[in-house]
Amino acid sequence: MAGPEKGLRIEARGLVKRYPGVLALDHADLTVEAGSIHGLLGKNGAGKSTIIKVLAGVIQPDEGEITVDGEVTQIHSPHAAGALGFAFAHQELTDVPNLTVAENVLLGLGYPTAGGAFVRNREMRRRAAVALDRLEAGIDPGAPLTSLSIAERRLVVIARGLAADARFFVLDEPTASLTDSEIEHLDRVLKTLRDEGVAILYVSHRLDEIFAMTDTVTVMLDGAEVHHGKTADIDKAKLIELITGSVIAVEKRVPHQTPPAAPTLLEARGVTVPGTVENVSFELKEGEMLGLAGLVGAGRTELMRAIFGADRAASGEILMKGKAVRIKSPRDGLNAGIVLLPEDRKNQGGILDFSVRKNMTLPSLSKFRRGGAPIPSQRRERKAARDLVERLHIKVSDVEYPTRFLSGGNQQKVVLAKWLDSGADVFIFDEPTQGIDVEGKEEVYQLMTALADEGKGVIFVSSEFNELIGTCSRILVMREGELVGQFDGVDISEEELVGACYSHEAEPLAAS
Amino acid sequence: MADDLTGSAAPGEVAAPPPVRPAKGATAKRRNLSLGNIAGKYGLLIFFGAVLIGFSLARPHTFPTGENAESILTLAAPSLIMAVGLTVVLVMQDFDLSFGAMIGLAGGAVTTFIVTDHMGFALAIILVLLMGAAAGLLSGFMVSYLGGNSFIITLAMGTVLTGVEFALTKQATIYSGFPPTFLKIAQGTFLGLNNQIWIAFVIAVLMWALLDRTELGRYMYAIGGNQEAARLSGIRVKAFRVIGFILVGVAAAVVGILLISLSSSYSPNGGASYLLPAFAAVFLGAAVFRPGEFNVPGTVVGVLFLGVIQTGLVMLNFETYVINLVQGGILIAAVLISRLGAAKA
Repeated sequence: MAGPEKGLRIEARGLVKRYPGVLALDHADLTVEAGSIHGLLGKNGAGKSTIIKVLAGVIQPDEGEITVDGEVTQIHSPHAAGALGFAFAHQELTDVPNLTVAENVLLGLGYPTAGGAFVRNREMRRRAAVALDRLEAGIDPGAPLTSLSIAERRLVVIARGLAADARFFVLDEPTASLTDSEIEHLDRVLKTLRDEGVAILYVSHRLDEIFAMTDTVTVMLDGAEVHHGKTADIDKAKLIELITGSVIAVEKRVPHQTPPAAPTLLEARGVTVPGTVENVSFELKEGEMLGLAGLVGAGRTELMRAIFGADRAASGEILMKGKAVRIKSPRDGLNAGIVLLPEDRKNQGGILDFSVRKNMTLPSLSKFRRGGAPIPSQRRERKAARDLVERLHIKVSDVEYPTRFLSGGNQQKVVLAKWLDSGADVFIFDEPTQGIDVEGKEEVYQLMTALADEGKGVIFVSSEFNELIGTCSRILVMREGELVGQFDGVDISEEELVGACYSHEAEPLAAS
Repeated sequence: MADDLTGSAAPGEVAAPPPVRPAKGATAKRRNLSLGNIAGKYGLLIFFGAVLIGFSLARPHTFPTGENAESILTLAAPSLIMAVGLTVVLVMQDFDLSFGAMIGLAGGAVTTFIVTDHMGFALAIILVLLMGAAAGLLSGFMVSYLGGNSFIITLAMGTVLTGVEFALTKQATIYSGFPPTFLKIAQGTFLGLNNQIWIAFVIAVLMWALLDRTELGRYMYAIGGNQEAARLSGIRVKAFRVIGFILVGVAAAVVGILLISLSSSYSPNGGASYLLPAFAAVFLGAAVFRPGEFNVPGTVVGVLFLGVIQTGLVMLNFETYVINLVQGGILIAAVLISRLGAAKA
């Protein structure tokens, strides 16, 4: 196979892909030149993921053609895409958790064997290490994948492409839940690859990254290309306008303000999860937007799961409105008035085979009883679901469609919707804007703020510190399982937060 | 019947409400009526119809008769009871391989209680139904709360239940000693149809209502769709999985009792032959109405289809081995067809 120095020129012309009720691609075009990093932008449902799936051979387009170095090519299967020298890091992790890092890196590339049958583990680890070293990730090739953080697992997926000597690299939201230093890292790796001649398609919602990393960009809207050009020739405002399809003023957000003298809603005392969370105590007030910052693996998700009751091994005390509550299961958490929107929506958030309606009404199904009998009124369910679809601007024409057919961002909104009218007091959002476009993010912020305005307590976990600063009146910082910093007020700087995440120089946590 | 049973639960059949937020004009209104969809949903029904016509043409004087229809329904009734019960656990992605043995145990127990212990048959029936529930509770507890793999736990439970059956009956074959009223249960008729048909009908309607109409049913489908998401939505996953096993246990007990009442006799381990047909019917059912999803209306069609094939092939004087080949082949084809339906989604 040719080495990476020979990159590919990929061209897609007039791609059409229809799903029931949704035209995912509407004569979409895309060109990626060899030796360039090409940004692909567009809001949720604009067709980005669909075009990638077409390139990956996961789905077949209804119309249109793809040319590789000028030759019309059919990509019938993921295997065919691999044979062309394409490598993909999809938005959702597509690794095999029960294998080791090395087994994942070389997955599908053929494991080195002795006598054609017995896998040579040492040689396999050595080859995987070569790819991992280029990422400078410090990941042990022999480690089981389950011992890695999400960020590290993303890097392993990228290493898989490196090991395959990919000539065309597609990264779909590669930096989601990656820290700044990890992003810089990736930046260096990708630019090196580009300079070797590899073509790279880079999908991201983070405009700063697009400007920092890409040479050319394509903007998609409603399944078609609306802009194609050099990144240097366009500015941020224009880009946002193209993405949203309308002119929206870029304004700085004002963080939510907790009403003065608001009573304490939730108090956590000495919450501990063996191995991940160490003796964490904090308070949440009524009507407060509390941010929770930290690096990936700092224990934020684990802390939130413990408070909600999703983790059996957790210990510590939870008080709701001053009263101790026993929370040993998600059901206890819900009964105590706490809801959690999990980080991993594919595996924990929604039921993809369920219709939008059924997902939305799942936790509150008993509200739709007919005269007290546990037989839900589907008519009322549909009405409630349609209201939520409208309220959250979810892009689906019929609430009876399977949630699977929706784009990632719209799936996230469906997961969010099911809790909105649950009557809970405390809402925990774990990375709710991950993989969501600019417009969608703004909507999520507004929803969270509206909940806080109603007097609910909102905990917002995010790796994008900008959004915490823009929305929260108080931000807690976790590092290595402990609460290490607390920042109040409107003038929190990103540098302060980043500093607290990395070092011990943060403000000492006020005793509460 | 089919349309009534699936109701609005099947997405494609719903009269599409006005688009709430049209994705892109006309495309949003595009209905789900492509040829492939119809074939996926109703392919089995169409094939079923063709088979009925085929048999009717081949045996015009014996096959398309009311008498034969009742005979097919009566023959299919125990399978139907077993298959709709099994549908509930399969919906939750659990397996139960112990119900064949439970049918045998129920038969052995009801025989022993009535014939040997001279117990009133009503009391005996209640006790046997409770045994079925208890066996299901035990399997369910080990699978759901102790985390045992349902496949292997219920396989082992089946052996245990057969052991209990043999301990009760000493593996004796019993031909007499049943009160006539007990035999009436499966041999008597109501409104011209065998009682078993009515019992199976009522149980099928109850299971359909449970799965497709009640909260519990919705939760069971949620558990099957994504157990962790269901748990995080506050659904009592473990308890509901146990309920599934209990329902299968009770269904097996009902079938066991009916078989004794029908044949007026008991012979050891009489339930094993029900294992595959029940699974076959449920998987066939997942290839119709809601492709890729286990559902009671589909299961009913599956049971009837297998019953028709069996009776029809016998009428055409095929040998037993042909019937085996055809039934096995149909099951394999159905499972693969339902996979195609699921893959398209």
